[in-house]
Amino acid sequence: MRPKWRKGRGTVFGALSVGALMVGLLALATMIAATVLQARRLTAMDATSQAGLALSLRSVEVPGREFVPYVVAAQVDPDSAAERAGLSRGDVLVGVGGSAVSRPDEVWDALGKLGPGSSTVSWIPKPEKLWGPLRAVVHPERPGELGVTLAAVPVGSPAERAGLRPGDALISVAGLPVTGTRQAWELVVGAVRQGPQVLTLVIERGRERQELAFDPIVQGEIPFQPELWRAWGRFLTRIGDPRYPERAGLLSALVGSLLVVGVMALFAFPLGVGAAVYLEEYASQNWFTEVLQVLIANLAGMPSAVVGIFGLEIFARSWGLGRSVFAGGLTLALLVLPMTIVAAREALRTVPRWVREAAASVGATPWQVIRFHVLPYALPGIFTGIILALARALGEAAPLLLLGAFLYVTYVPQSLLDSFTIVPLQIFDWATKPQDGFAELAAAAILVLIAMHLVLNSIAIVLRNRYQRRWA
Amino acid sequence: MSREETASAQAVEAAAAEKAVFQIRSFSLWYGDQQALKDVSLDIPERRVTAIIGPSGCGKSTLIRALNRMNDLIPSVRTQGQILFRGTDLYGRGTDPVEVRRRIGMVFQKPNPFPKSVFENVAFGLRINGFRGDLKARVQWALEKAALWEEVQDQLHKSGFDLSGGQQQRLCLARALAVQPEVLLMDEPCSALDPIATGKIEDLIHQLKEEITIVIVTHNMQQAARVSDHTAFMLLGELIEFAPTKILFTRPGDPRTEAYITGRFG
Repeated sequence: MRPKWRKGRGTVFGALSVGALMVGLLALATMIAATVLQARRLTAMDATSQAGLALSLRSVEVPGREFVPYVVAAQVDPDSAAERAGLSRGDVLVGVGGSAVSRPDEVWDALGKLGPGSSTVSWIPKPEKLWGPLRAVVHPERPGELGVTLAAVPVGSPAERAGLRPGDALISVAGLPVTGTRQAWELVVGAVRQGPQVLTLVIERGRERQELAFDPIVQGEIPFQPELWRAWGRFLTRIGDPRYPERAGLLSALVGSLLVVGVMALFAFPLGVGAAVYLEEYASQNWFTEVLQVLIANLAGMPSAVVGIFGLEIFARSWGLGRSVFAGGLTLALLVLPMTIVAAREALRTVPRWVREAAASVGATPWQVIRFHVLPYALPGIFTGIILALARALGEAAPLLLLGAFLYVTYVPQSLLDSFTIVPLQIFDWATKPQDGFAELAAAAILVLIAMHLVLNSIAIVLRNRYQRRWA
Repeated sequence: MSREETASAQAVEAAAAEKAVFQIRSFSLWYGDQQALKDVSLDIPERRVTAIIGPSGCGKSTLIRALNRMNDLIPSVRTQGQILFRGTDLYGRGTDPVEVRRRIGMVFQKPNPFPKSVFENVAFGLRINGFRGDLKARVQWALEKAALWEEVQDQLHKSGFDLSGGQQQRLCLARALAVQPEVLLMDEPCSALDPIATGKIEDLIHQLKEEITIVIVTHNMQQAARVSDHTAFMLLGELIEFAPTKILFTRPGDPRTEAYITGRFG
């Protein structure tokens, strides 16, 4: 009979273990949930891009309110929905479906709330379309001061609607004096962004000052189609335009990662398993193998940045491979080689003695024993080690950063000698960009990386189970 | 010289007069610093069953595993002395342990079939030794020799692991016999089997000894008495006595042998 307190202690230990597990799972779930939430905006970002828009954050200096942010249409694609609605490059978006917008994030959030369909978008046209070309002339009344006059008012423009005519001089916008052509337009943007849609304009027409009500806003209907899966599909399969987050893609980093890890696997795994077989099965125990083992253990614990510097000096410079896929693969191979050796040796050590004895007893050579019996038996363990190494290599950024891999490239690597970027570096690039939308891209790329790990681990588990069933 | 010792000495001479397959000469073996066999000398006669008995840890398994160099698989093993197999030193410079193991088959204490089909279990030894004849016929021959054919002929592609313990051990026997070894070493082949399966193995030993030399290690003295022609008794790494089985069990020449077979220790 076991004393009762022992059983009690076991229960406490069990409860603590379950608790620790739950805390761990909760932390993981929170992290993934936060990333998913962050990446959710990708759909709306893609919808604006599909409507032909690329947005940028700008700001205007308003006296008394410092800098006021605004969203500008940085690109409007020819023959796109946005262009057909009347938008052009340089227009300032001020409202989407009834909500005021001051930065790209707010545009995407407004779209996310609206859902699919046609949305009313309002904007302040760029100067040429708002009131046509302005001319800076010497003030007719006060020589030495600059006067800003309208040269030709475009048909259908807000200026024409308000009754402005060519030759009118702009004196003030919403109470603030006009001092330059660009500044006049910025005053309009600043005033609208601060509230009133209809502004008071003071002009001088034929030496007479007049007050005019000026409504600079133009509206149009733009159909937006937020499509979750297509948005992700496009994100994953395009190289894109790295300047605009709604147009950037992960393709070159994805291909770069796969190529680099592929080259790594090609070198690290045969070498690693071979070295493990040599050390476990052939090498005799002497000072040389002892030293070798200590070296491998030390190599396994080496900071990955150091491996990167080694790769830079040897592969990139001495061997002249540069910052190529090949050099990157070799550097990562160096990083995971000791891990692979250690894991494969552990797996080989778990092969029971009877397996070797049974094979040897019918006259198998040492190589035949290894090839037909020991390796198949150790394979599930070796696979586990290899998959773990693959996963580690996929997530490694430091060594390739030091090797000189790019943070982004605008092409897909075509050969092993092309330069490249990898998903972790792309994430690093996006995560450190201050502009709206890049944090979302980073989150989306992180989810892709997590998904890749999940797929890899699932493959490992399936392979392991298949082999284990064969041996059990 | 006492009467028993004289009888024992005569028996040894009689055994030596038969043609010896193994001539073990002052053979010692160490695992690292630990000596497992101490100066063992013994002639194992051809086409007879020789049993090695003794208490646990006496070196009987080590001795039988020395006969096909199975101890080579354990690092830190060191040997001294000679084991002549048909006149050739097994531990000599030019001897290939792989060739030794092909000519001297082995069945182990725990049934250890490969995790492959019944057929592949038997065929493996033939394949790696470059067998060029009719593989199927030879596999059937070996399974018949091991009295397993009747039971498995319809399930040759089933895993060897799916057989019962006794069947597995006979499968291992068939695997060893398939390459037609000259000697069969059996290291406590029945210790993991029930009495019925044990009986089948013993029957097989009786049939096989017409064609092949058998060395069997057993901790079961009744079994040694039932199946063997000669018996060696070992204690603490030393060979205490070697004699025809009938003599060893009825008129042991050494008081330690007598103490063991009458159950006073072991």
